[in-house]
Amino acid sequence: MKVSCGFGIGLSFALALALNSAAVAARDISGTYWATSYSPTIQVVGGGLPPLNAAGRAAYEMVEAGLKDGSIVDKARRVCVPDGVPRVLATPYPFEIFQVPAGQVTFLYEMNHQVRVIVMDKPLPSRQALIVDPKYNGHSVGHWDGDTLVVESAGFSDRTFLDASGLPHSDEMTTMERIRKVGNQLEDVITIHDPEMYERDWQARFVYDERNDVRLQDYACNDTHRDLSGVKGVRR
Amino acid sequence: MTSGLPRTGHALAGAIALSVLCGLAAFVPVVAAETPGIGAPAGLDLSAPGVAWAGFVPPKAPNYAVARLFNDFASPATSLGPVTDGPDHPYANNEVAREMHIQPTYRVADLNNAAGRNLLPWVREALGRQNEIVLQGRNGETREARCWETGVPAFHLNPGLMHVIQTPREVVLFLTGRARHIWLDVPHSANPKPSWYGESVGHYEGDTLVVDTIGFNDRTFVDSYRTPHTDKLHVVERLRLIDGGNTLEVAFTVDDPGAFYQPWSGTRNRHRVVNPNAKPQEFDCPAFNDDYFNIGLEPVPTAEKPEF
Repeated sequence: MKVSCGFGIGLSFALALALNSAAVAARDISGTYWATSYSPTIQVVGGGLPPLNAAGRAAYEMVEAGLKDGSIVDKARRVCVPDGVPRVLATPYPFEIFQVPAGQVTFLYEMNHQVRVIVMDKPLPSRQALIVDPKYNGHSVGHWDGDTLVVESAGFSDRTFLDASGLPHSDEMTTMERIRKVGNQLEDVITIHDPEMYERDWQARFVYDERNDVRLQDYACNDTHRDLSGVKGVRR
Repeated sequence: MTSGLPRTGHALAGAIALSVLCGLAAFVPVVAAETPGIGAPAGLDLSAPGVAWAGFVPPKAPNYAVARLFNDFASPATSLGPVTDGPDHPYANNEVAREMHIQPTYRVADLNNAAGRNLLPWVREALGRQNEIVLQGRNGETREARCWETGVPAFHLNPGLMHVIQTPREVVLFLTGRARHIWLDVPHSANPKPSWYGESVGHYEGDTLVVDTIGFNDRTFVDSYRTPHTDKLHVVERLRLIDGGNTLEVAFTVDDPGAFYQPWSGTRNRHRVVNPNAKPQEFDCPAFNDDYFNIGLEPVPTAEKPEF
């Protein structure tokens, strides 16, 4: 029995380790990434405009007018508070993903050192808990679906825009992201669910190059920042 | 039914059966294999799940020594230390004021003690001007409270929770919505671009993380008294665990021949806090931080026009 136990432990260890390391290798999106293009308006998967409903259209018109006449301030650019999701996904600056410590995936953005912590394999906090603690980038939980990191977020502050044009959302918005490596790129497909502002759920897709040769730099509002000439669509 | 299983399935099924017979111990190594290496010695794991490091933990009973260090450096016992308050204007932060039932004050630097005499004339003059402003009740807030990047070593002054991520490539310190990178086992760049936190390179010496930082801009202060510095600032920090792992000691030496006659040193202790729900915070500081009472507060960093 002793011998077979030893054999069993050895065999299971070796096999599980082999299978496990394959899974771990696939479930690794850690590293530094940098988009090669930027758009101030969010690009809807399948084309067209975000499917605003009547309330959404009214809010968008109000924000657009306010941004134009200065009665509404884009605080994310003016005083550099966090962009919120999904606007942060459009960042023309590099960002870094960490998969340590265990139980969390951390996105650290160079732009205004924004941080998103994805809590792994836990449910989202209750609606009551989210209402009293809104965050620019929401509260996020994640799990692996094969080699894809699935991130669900809720509990967003309504003080952010979905893009630089002022596209609105409500504090009832929830998002679901599917994030995976494709070759040496990272893809994030986000689904926006916000019936208060949109007629139906819609998606946007963001792609980044893996850039482990890049070190994240310091960032402060109104400072001179890194050269973004390699990112198409950035107008400084 | 099992005939349809692929070969690995057969083998795994057998292995699982044996493992069940032999106890779950067989799978323990798998758990270990799943945890990515942090590249740090076991004696300096600062990034265990749910662990953060608090700059201030309220004492159970009134304790002036603890309250006093709410967001200040501790001075070394014998060598030259940081700028402090003096007998003419004892500093009472909110914690001290609460304990002693007195009004809190802003900081007035002692320019005549050893640390004060260590300041080059222009630094002494700058601090003298700041003292005058503070004594008029204006602009006594720390740079951090005005939402500016804090620099080093002032980064460590925040009394809140510091979260740490350790990888073999770098150590990231998260504090009050800000992040600082320490690049491991690499030399300094030939000409680092001047920045708020400088270029930090580090290595482990036993269970101590030694961090060497140069390449600063000259736009931060080294302490809460608003002591300025030049771009020649050079800071060496040594991070280690004491008190059986419950305290993170950050001991540092500040050298800047453009600001100080002699290098000086200080320490800042952080206390282990376990809270699985605590996470690095968002940088919300500038959202609602205008000078509402018109007391000459420094404006928060503001971009005149959108950057892009």
